[in-house]
Amino acid sequence: MKTASERRAALNRLVESRTVTRVSPPLLLPAGPFFDLAGEEFGRALLLTTASTGIEYCLRPDFTLPIAQTYIEDGLVGVPAAYTYLGTIFRQQDGLPVEFEQAGLELLGQPDAGNALDQVLTFARWALAIYDINAPFVRLGGVGLFESFLAAADISPAWQARIRHRFGHPDAMARVMERLSIPRERNAVEAPDGREAVIEIVTDAMLQGGLSLVGGRTPEEVADRYIEKQALDAAPLSDGTLQLLQDYLEVEDSAPAALDRIWSLTAAAGLDIEEPIQIVRNHAAALQALSPKADVIFDASFSPRLDYYTGVVFEMTNDEGEVLASGGEYDRLLDRLGASQPVPASGCALWVDRLEQEATR
Amino acid sequence: MNTSLTTLGNGPMPGPSPIAGGGLVLAVPSKGRLEELTRKAFTNARMAIARPGGARAYIGAIKGQPHVTVRFYPAGEIARGLIHGSVDIGVTGTDLIHEAAENGPENVVFVRGLGFGEADVVVAVPDSWIDVTHMADLADVASDFRARHGRWLRVATKYVNLTRRFFAEYGIAEYRIVESAGATEAAPAAGSADLIVDITSTGSTLSANALRVLDDGVILKSEANLIVSRTADWTPLRKAQLEAFFSVLGGVPAGISTLL
Repeated sequence: MKTASERRAALNRLVESRTVTRVSPPLLLPAGPFFDLAGEEFGRALLLTTASTGIEYCLRPDFTLPIAQTYIEDGLVGVPAAYTYLGTIFRQQDGLPVEFEQAGLELLGQPDAGNALDQVLTFARWALAIYDINAPFVRLGGVGLFESFLAAADISPAWQARIRHRFGHPDAMARVMERLSIPRERNAVEAPDGREAVIEIVTDAMLQGGLSLVGGRTPEEVADRYIEKQALDAAPLSDGTLQLLQDYLEVEDSAPAALDRIWSLTAAAGLDIEEPIQIVRNHAAALQALSPKADVIFDASFSPRLDYYTGVVFEMTNDEGEVLASGGEYDRLLDRLGASQPVPASGCALWVDRLEQEATR
Repeated sequence: MNTSLTTLGNGPMPGPSPIAGGGLVLAVPSKGRLEELTRKAFTNARMAIARPGGARAYIGAIKGQPHVTVRFYPAGEIARGLIHGSVDIGVTGTDLIHEAAENGPENVVFVRGLGFGEADVVVAVPDSWIDVTHMADLADVASDFRARHGRWLRVATKYVNLTRRFFAEYGIAEYRIVESAGATEAAPAAGSADLIVDITSTGSTLSANALRVLDDGVILKSEANLIVSRTADWTPLRKAQLEAFFSVLGGVPAGISTLL
C-alpha cells in the first residue's frame, strides 16, 4: 500500500514527465473568455469578482481554456505541444464556493490525432492506477460518430442542425423527437406567399416595436427561419428515419457489442459510417487493453454539453457515479478561441480529491 | 447616554434578541401595495399588525402575540432573511425566494399562498420574431446566433438564477445574461438585449413594448406567500410558539414545525 504522500509524489512525476510541459496559468483570470466559450450555463459555476473598471474576473475554474489561449497568444498554432497541469480550481456548487484539485493533460496540434487520444486515455489510466483504481466504470461517447450518422441519414440539414444541437441533453433531445413524431399544427400567423412578403411583415413589426433592423436578428433572418420552420413542420422525418435515430440514441452496451449494434442498425438502413465506427472501436479496444478489469461502455447518446467537442469523448467514474476523469477530442476549441488554422486537440481532466478519496476507501 | 435597547421605540418590544429565550421574528413587506395587502390579510385573521412608528418604523407588533416581533423589510430582504435564517416567518413573493439564492426554495417551507401579488416570471421575445413561439425555437436561434452575429444572444433580466435554470432545462447554453435593475422591458428596443425574462401580472407592459410571452415561456407563477425558514434555529420552544401562532392565524394545517 502506498501512502498519501507517495501517491502525491507519483502524480507529480506523472505531470512532470519528460515528454510534457507542466504549466500553471494564473489563479485570477478574466471571466469574459469563459462566458464567451461556454455561455451562461458554465458561467453560473464561476466565482466572480469585479475590478473597479467594471471588468469581471474569476478564480480559475478550469485549466483547458487558459492553456489553449496562451498557446494561441504565444504564436504556437501548428506546433505540436503537450501540456500538463496540477493545481486548484474554483467553482460554485449548490450555491457554495468550492475548491478542488485538478490535474490533466492537453495535447494540442499533434500530427496523429488518433495516437494523441490514446495517449490521453493512457494518461488517465495511469493516474487512476496511482490511486489503485483498476476497475473504473468507463463511458465512451462518439460526437464525431453521431455527426457522421446524421450526415449519412436521410435528414435535411436544418433538422440535422437542430438535432445535433441537442446531443448530450436527453430532455431537449426527447422533446425534439416528440416534435418530429407529431407534425405540429401550423403557425397561427397566416403564411404569406413569398419570402419578400414575409420580410416586409417582419420589418414592419420590428419598426413598430422600436427595434433596430441591424445589430440583432434581421428581418431576413426571421423570415427565412419562419419559412424554414413551416417547411420542417410540414415535412418531419420519415417514420423509418425517426425510428433509426431513436434506436441509435438508445444504444448503450459494452463497447464492442454497442458498436456492432450501431453497425447493423446503420448497415440495414443502407448508411455507410463504417470508418467512423472503426475509429471508435479502435480507441475502445486500446482503452480496454489498458485496463482489462474496467467496464468499458459505449453510450451513443453521451456527449458533454459543450459544442467544441468533436470526436471521441469519455468519462471514468467510481461506484457512485462521480467523475474521476473525463475528456476527449475537442478540435473546435482552438478555432473558437481564434486560432488562425484548425488545431486538433485532445485532453483530459482528473478530479484529484476524488481519486485520493477512492484510494483511502 | 445609556441606550438600553428595551427603551428604544415605544412598542411592546422584547429584548434585543427575541430568539435567545424563544420568540419569533415575522417579517412583512415594508411599503407599497404588498405591505397594505399583507396587513389586511393579518387583520382579517384577527391578528392586526400594529406599526406604532408609522410608515418609517421598521418594528411592529401583534396584539396578544407577545412572542412575535414584527419587522418591516423590503420584500427581497425578507427572502434573504428566510433563506439565511435571520427571519423565522415571512411574507414575500415566491419569485424572490427562487431568485435570492440557487438553493433558496430548499431552505424554506411555503406555508400557503395569500391570494395577492400574483405575477408570472416569463420569457418574452419581440413580437416581430414570428418564427419564435416556443422555447425550442429559442434554442435553435441561440445555437447559431453567435456564428451569425459575432456575439451571444443576450437576455435582459434581474432573475439571473431563474433564467439560468430554466434555459438549462431546455438545453439552451449559448446566451449571455445582461443584468437589468429596472425597465427590463425596454432592453430590446434600447438595443441592450435581444429578449427578456421579467415579471408580469397583466402582460400590458410587455405588449406595450411589442414583446410576446412564449407559449411555454412561463418560468414561475408567483404570488405573495406565507413562508417559514428552515435554516433558523428551531428550538422545541420556538417550534411550539410557531404552531401556536399558526393555529391562531388559521388556514394553516397543524404540524408545519415537523417539516423544519
